[in-house]
Amino acid sequence: MADLSLNLCGVQMKNPIIAASGTFGFGREYDELYDISALGGISVKGLCLGGRMGNPPSRLTETPSGMLNCVGLQNPGIESFIENDLPWLLSKDVAVIANFFGTSIENYCQAAEAFANTGVHMLEMNISCPNVHDGGVAFGVKPESVYEITKAVKAHSRQPLIVKLTPNVSDITENALAAQEAGADAISLINTLTGIAVDVHKRRMILANNTGGLSGPAVRPVALRMVWQCAKKVSIPIIGLGGIETGEDAAAFMLCGAQAVQVGTANFTDPFACPRIARELGEYCDAQKIGNPQEIVGTLKSY
Amino acid sequence: MKDIDAKVLSSDVLAEGLIRIILHAPEIACEAKPGQFIHMLVPDNAHVLRRPISLMAMDAAAGTLTLAIQPKGRGTQMICSLKEGDTVKCLGPLGAGFDGKGAQTIYFVGGGVGVAPICGAMDGFATESSCAFFGFRTKNHVYGMTQAPCRVVAVSDDGSIGERALVTKPLLEAIEQKRPDLIMACGPTPMLAAVQKIANDMDIPCQLSLEERMGCGIGACLGCNVKINLPDGTWTYKRVCKDGPVFDSKEVAFGG
Repeated sequence: MADLSLNLCGVQMKNPIIAASGTFGFGREYDELYDISALGGISVKGLCLGGRMGNPPSRLTETPSGMLNCVGLQNPGIESFIENDLPWLLSKDVAVIANFFGTSIENYCQAAEAFANTGVHMLEMNISCPNVHDGGVAFGVKPESVYEITKAVKAHSRQPLIVKLTPNVSDITENALAAQEAGADAISLINTLTGIAVDVHKRRMILANNTGGLSGPAVRPVALRMVWQCAKKVSIPIIGLGGIETGEDAAAFMLCGAQAVQVGTANFTDPFACPRIARELGEYCDAQKIGNPQEIVGTLKSY
Repeated sequence: MKDIDAKVLSSDVLAEGLIRIILHAPEIACEAKPGQFIHMLVPDNAHVLRRPISLMAMDAAAGTLTLAIQPKGRGTQMICSLKEGDTVKCLGPLGAGFDGKGAQTIYFVGGGVGVAPICGAMDGFATESSCAFFGFRTKNHVYGMTQAPCRVVAVSDDGSIGERALVTKPLLEAIEQKRPDLIMACGPTPMLAAVQKIANDMDIPCQLSLEERMGCGIGACLGCNVKINLPDGTWTYKRVCKDGPVFDSKEVAFGG
C-alpha cells in the first residue's frame, strides 16, 4: 500500500486529502459518520472576528454537475471557534487549517493574529469569496492588492499562510505570483466561479443573493487548468480544489502540480467522500506502482 | 444516522403527481422518528446534491420506510423512476422531528405533498380526540386518508372532495369547538404561515415542518438555513436539516 503522507509547509499530514472550507463545518457533523482523523487536514468553515450572520435564504441550488451557493460566510466568530470547537478538533489526529477572512487589511491581520497562540496548524486566507462584498474578494482580484494584503497578513501570522485564490480573474497566475512574492507559504485554488440560476416560471433569481459560487465537477476542468498554469509559475506548494470526486480526480490535480487537494461539494453527494478519495488515491498509486503520490506532483506530460 | 444502500420494495402512484416508494432500510427505520427525513442520492451520478425526502411511514419491525415523492425536477423524476429491486443511497434518519409532548388532543394540518410527514406524525402521536385537516388540489390528489389513526377532514381547491376551502377553515372551526393542546403542520409556505398566525394569535403550541434546498443534510454547510426569531426580539439563522425541519411556530420568521 502506497505511503500517502506528506509534509506541507512543515506540517506533517497522513495524506493529501483536506476537507474544503465551508462544506465541512468544524468537522463535528462528519465525525458522527466516521473518524475525521482519517483525513490529512480540515480547512474549517471560514471565520472572521466577531462572527457573521451570512446571507438570507435561498442559499444554494443545484446546477448541471455542480451547485451554486451564497451562504455568505456565516460563522460564529474566531473567538467562539477557538473556545468551543478548536479544543475538540485538536484532539483529532488531523491538520487543522483555519480558514479566515476580514473586512479590511487591518482586520485581516487581527484575524490572523487571533490564531497566534492556538494549536491551529495552518492559516488559509480567503480573499476570494464571491458572495459577500466585504468578504475579501475586493482584495483578491488585482495582483497588487493580493500582494499588499498577503504581505501585511504574513507579518501577523504565526502559522504557515495559505492564500486561497479566486478564479474570477483574467490571469490567476499573476495573483499566484503576487502571493508568492509577498511571502505566502502556499496557495490554494480554485475558489468558486461566480454564476447565477434563473427560475423561469417565477421569472426571478433562485438565489437570494442573486449571484452564487459554482462548485462541483462542473468546474473541475477549469480548476485543473488553473492549477497547471500556476504550478508552472510558482515554486511554493499548491493545494488544488474544484470538483474532486474520486481518487483519480485527486491524482489529476497532483499531476498538474498540486501537493495536496481539497474536497468540498463531493461531501454532499457522498458524506464519506474524503476518506473514500484517500483510499482510492492509495489504490491508484498501487496500480501505478507509485510509492507516494508526491512523486507524481507536477509530472503531467503535455503536448 | 447511517448511509445505506436501501432496496426499493415497491413503487406506485399514490395520487396524481405523487409517487409512493417503500424502501427496505432497516438501519434507518429502527431509529427514525416522525418528522425526520432521509437524504437520498439521485441514482444517476449526475446530481451532486441529494434530495431530502420526508418519511410518510416508518416500520422498525419490518425495516421499511414509506415515502411520497413529487417528481418535480430532474432529480426527483429520477428518484421516482426507481423500480422494485433497485437500490438507492440514503442517509438518515436526519433532523429534529415532531414532538408529541404528551399532548392529549393534537390537530394535524397537511397540504399537498406535506400531508406525507403529517401521516407519519399521526401514526406516532394521534389520539382519539385528535383530528387531521388535509388540503388537496382536487380529489385526484387525495392520499393518506384511508388508514388514518384519527378523524380526517379534507378540503380541496375545486371542491371535488370536501369543501372548496383552504385547510385553515375547518381547522379554525374545530378550534372553536375544542381547543387542541398542540398543532402539527406541514405544507406550502402560505399554508404554514396561515397556521402559524392562527396558533400564535390563540397561543396554541404549534410545530411547523419546513422545507429548504439542502447541501450536506447533516448541519455542516449552512446551506438550508432559515430565519428564526429569538425570545429576546432578535433573530438568528438555524439549519433546517439539523435544528429542524420541525420548528416551534413562535420561532419561524416567514418571508426571510
